[in-house]
Amino acid sequence: MSEIIHAGELVGDNRAAPVAKVRLVKMADFGVGDKPTLAISLVTAVVILAAWWLVSRLGVVPHLFLPRPDEVLRQVGNIYRDGYAGASLADHVSASLFRIVVAALIAIAAGIPLGLLMGLNRWAKGVLDTPIEFYWPLPPLSYLPLMIIWLGIGETSKITLLVLAMFAPICLSAQAGVRSLPLERVNAARALGASRLQLFFHIVMPSALPEILTGIRIALGVGWGTLVAAELIASTRGIGYMIMSASQFLATDVVFVGIGIIAICAFAFGALVRAAEALLVPWKGKL
Amino acid sequence: MLKVDHASVFFAARDGRTVHALDRVSFDIPDEGFVVALGASGCGKSTLLNAIAGFLPLSEGSITLNGRPVTGPGADRGVVFQKDALLPWKSVADNVALGLKFAGVGRRERQERVEDLLQLVGLADFGKAAPYELSGGMRQRVGIARALATDPAILLMDEPFGALDSLTREHMQELLISVWSRTAKKVFFITHSIEEALLLGTQVLVMSPRPGRVVRRFDVDFVRRFVEGGDARPIKTSPEFAELREEIRAILHEGENLRSAA
Repeated sequence: MSEIIHAGELVGDNRAAPVAKVRLVKMADFGVGDKPTLAISLVTAVVILAAWWLVSRLGVVPHLFLPRPDEVLRQVGNIYRDGYAGASLADHVSASLFRIVVAALIAIAAGIPLGLLMGLNRWAKGVLDTPIEFYWPLPPLSYLPLMIIWLGIGETSKITLLVLAMFAPICLSAQAGVRSLPLERVNAARALGASRLQLFFHIVMPSALPEILTGIRIALGVGWGTLVAAELIASTRGIGYMIMSASQFLATDVVFVGIGIIAICAFAFGALVRAAEALLVPWKGKL
Repeated sequence: MLKVDHASVFFAARDGRTVHALDRVSFDIPDEGFVVALGASGCGKSTLLNAIAGFLPLSEGSITLNGRPVTGPGADRGVVFQKDALLPWKSVADNVALGLKFAGVGRRERQERVEDLLQLVGLADFGKAAPYELSGGMRQRVGIARALATDPAILLMDEPFGALDSLTREHMQELLISVWSRTAKKVFFITHSIEEALLLGTQVLVMSPRPGRVVRRFDVDFVRRFVEGGDARPIKTSPEFAELREEIRAILHEGENLRSAA
């Protein structure tokens, strides 16, 4: 009885007040959850820029150490117009991009098959684990001298250094991708009559793909980090070279410009991989 | 006919001891037979299914399907898993077509066959959907359609409805029985639900753990009435059904008590 009366009241309420008035509730979150953070991040960026401007404006820090934001911006225009250290800005950027992209392609082409092989074959894992686990934790700067002695001061040593730095995360993630493959999925395919080759192309490869893309994202981060080191080797081009040569003349504003360019490039590469993830593995984390 | 003859399985446990998972299990599944293995967890019913599927070799004994010994997995035995094990990067239709693709069946024929199968399991409109967009019951239907695609001699079902809510479960039981009566496949079905075993099976193997073995077998025919009548409720509430249910419950509890006493 009471339920019927209650329902009747509800209908009356709905007519009086449209749905817009209801109070939407949801389960209390823990941690950040999916609350938006973009506005906070943007405000933070503005505050940092303002603080930078204020500190340099008030002369708290010597001008040589910290140029003003507007000076850095003007320097971007100058370098764009006149180039820096004997090369145009486009030359510097394209030299760095070329190295990163070539090194990434080589690291991907070698890292994915070898990583998959390490996940599938005991001998491959046993043999390759030794050199990879040995060199992977080393800072690239520590074996940079060897690269120069062995491979000279041309592009080869720079690209090799980048390849070495980027290969390991891709290879290890491909291996992890195979290892995380659920046995049920393999058995299901076997019971459907899959041959070993079909198992590899239809089950193993796609299953490992999300991990591989994560590995590529990490590798690109490591790659940009290693770039400056790679361009220490007798370069005449490159953003890393530009930064290093500017630092020798205490041209702090140019250093800032270089850092800004690397940040933008690294962010763009990250966004590219995320777009690839959205396109190739929309099912990531589901099922 | 599927023939399981004195099948025994011994595992090496992590601590080095030997686990006797399956002890000399023998039974036959005749054509159009629906054999249900019923028991608590650890009774070896999944081990038995894995051996029939060819995922696990036997320590002793043999399994033959239509006279040929089982030596590994193959498309003549369709497996439906407890968790659906669908490929998330493939659409529902492509998941169902997987076995046909492995067998090298052409695209046109695949499409026709998949359409028929999706019709059979009531998912005709969901071919383009992604597996993760479906409910648990719908995913199991895809699993059944996929297992049927290669026209296997037998369906092996490992607690396929164990994770479903009871209402969905009843619908799925009806669906499975209608599929079974229409395709006339042999079925080997695992469950820990006594009611499900009695309702679906033509033969129920009651299993007991440590070592996993068949302690009793019952030939039942409730499923024939189910096929004819199409309503499970009067069958489940009938006195014969209740009597048998209690008898099996007593057997299972006895096994449980023996275990805790040991």
